[in-house]
Amino acid sequence: MKQFRNMAYPYVVWIAIMIVLPMLLIVMYAFTKKGNDVTTFRFTLENFTYFFSDPIFIDVLERSLVIAVLTTVICILLGYPVAYIIANANPKAKTMLVLLITLPMWINMLVRTYAWMGILQDDGVINGILGYFGIAPIKMLHTSFAVVLGMVYNFIPFMILQIYTSLTKMDKSLLDAANDLGANKLQRFLKVTLPLSLPGVISGITLVFLPAVSSFFIPKLLGGGQYVLIGNVIESQFLTSGNWNFGSAISLIMAIIIMLSMYIAKRVDKDTSAKTGGAK
Amino acid sequence: MKKLIAVLLGTVLMVSGCGSPKATGGAKEGKYSSDTLKLYNWGEYMGENLISDFEDQFGVKVIVEYFDSNEMMYTKLQAGDAYDVIVPSDYMIERLIKDNALMKLDKSKIPNISNLAEGLPSTDVDPENDYTVPYFWGSVGIVYNKNTVPKELIEEEGFNILKNTDYKGKIYMYDSERDSFMVALKALGYSMNTEDEGEIEEAYQWLKELNDTMQPTYVTDEVIDNMMNGDKDLAVVYSGDATVVLDENPDMAFIMPKEGTNVWSDSMVIPANSENPELAHEFINYVLTYDASYGNSETVGYASSNQEVLDEMTAQGGLYYENEAYLPRTGYEKDEVFKDNAVLKQKLAELWIKVKASK
Repeated sequence: MKQFRNMAYPYVVWIAIMIVLPMLLIVMYAFTKKGNDVTTFRFTLENFTYFFSDPIFIDVLERSLVIAVLTTVICILLGYPVAYIIANANPKAKTMLVLLITLPMWINMLVRTYAWMGILQDDGVINGILGYFGIAPIKMLHTSFAVVLGMVYNFIPFMILQIYTSLTKMDKSLLDAANDLGANKLQRFLKVTLPLSLPGVISGITLVFLPAVSSFFIPKLLGGGQYVLIGNVIESQFLTSGNWNFGSAISLIMAIIIMLSMYIAKRVDKDTSAKTGGAK
Repeated sequence: MKKLIAVLLGTVLMVSGCGSPKATGGAKEGKYSSDTLKLYNWGEYMGENLISDFEDQFGVKVIVEYFDSNEMMYTKLQAGDAYDVIVPSDYMIERLIKDNALMKLDKSKIPNISNLAEGLPSTDVDPENDYTVPYFWGSVGIVYNKNTVPKELIEEEGFNILKNTDYKGKIYMYDSERDSFMVALKALGYSMNTEDEGEIEEAYQWLKELNDTMQPTYVTDEVIDNMMNGDKDLAVVYSGDATVVLDENPDMAFIMPKEGTNVWSDSMVIPANSENPELAHEFINYVLTYDASYGNSETVGYASSNQEVLDEMTAQGGLYYENEAYLPRTGYEKDEVFKDNAVLKQKLAELWIKVKASK
């Protein structure tokens, strides 16, 4: 066994260099400011007070959270039924359907988002079709609708696959048992299937909410220059204003918010599994 | 939009004219150190045949890479990438000269330098053309729809027309901190190179107010197509882009506002680490020829640095006769050239994201 454990060392080194070190750098940048000639850095909380003292940043943060929550909720509402249908399909169709869900992910996200620009723009595909029926073009590109659509489109596979996995792992005999005890279809779903699939939903939320709250190229492309979310603010700190310290501070604030929400999600998850008698 | 795509493609080397049949030229005669020229230029900034003609005429190969901002170009140079000719804007050239990153030109190898137009904005940075040879020059102004915006009104209000609530929701602003703050500072009657904190704060409030009351749309290259379609009434636009818009849509007109605006030039320079300076001189000389310069200006719409081309384009029957946007105004004392100030630029960038983020 011991020699196998040694094989993990390259991976530990990899984690240290590629994950832990960058995280530490972000923390270091967040709590420092460019110093004078003698000291390169000096410790400060200025980056954080600057963020929280300006209502504009708080507004952007709020807007980003609202968009991310909306995206996540839509992903659950659309993704759950899809996952349910796939999980209950016959084995052959199942493989095919899962393949169809993952297929778009083989193409780069940026390219797919560009495609949406072509579909949504004023002289794009949708408005072209509407034009045939004499309907005036509807402004879709550069609206919140386009941003949420882009996010749901890009992130929903993560939700579907998570729920699907937890649904297929479910012990089907539990449904028979519920049936024997006189539960009807709806009751069986609500009392057995739904609680047992919740862990999938929770990890789906993690996988959708996380990228949605920090995404910057979807709002940039589909929302236009005037659509600024927190990801765009971070991007601009690194790319145009060159204020890495403030950019890192915002990233850190985001990381803390995300960790808190993950913690809450985990707690909810535990509570529900406790209630259902920890059916594992 | 087009620029974005150009950048995506730009990272992939665009090798034009592979295997040119006449690749017997200069290098073998020992005239140039090699027969490849590495050119680093803006996207969508060259005449259709510029590169292929040069390759054929001199039997060389040109490798072109594209950038979409001076800063991006500067970062790559600092990373040690070697190019033979680059085409930055004035303030960036100022910085490159300060950095000792440019090679002094051997003017005896650029006889066509006598074709240069007089009084270009580039003379601000490099009056004797020791390092630079202008490529294009231009201004920033407002494209407006003649049918909805009376000429007298825009002449009267200048940049402040962007805050005229009659045009609420009908405005394109240029999505860049440098150009937006230029507009605001000029509208307030200040220098666009100001370092005065109070003036910058005022400009920030001016832009924020515009953002909050006028529902502007912030765009970059898509402004060209959108104004051709007549999507909005007013747009802050670079003169070359405006030339193209006016060419396509007769309802559109162009004005350089009375408060003065940014006049600029993009010039060819040879970086100090160029591997083929001989050929670089040859290329610069070639761009200054009538044919090459005409081709560039015809395709891109910016004002040529070649006097003869300028005269031809604006003469009666010329390509841009009566196109107000093509030839920038010269000698107007309120017009300014950007000065290099990296600290200020960072500050403006920080304020700009806040302008856009406020709702």
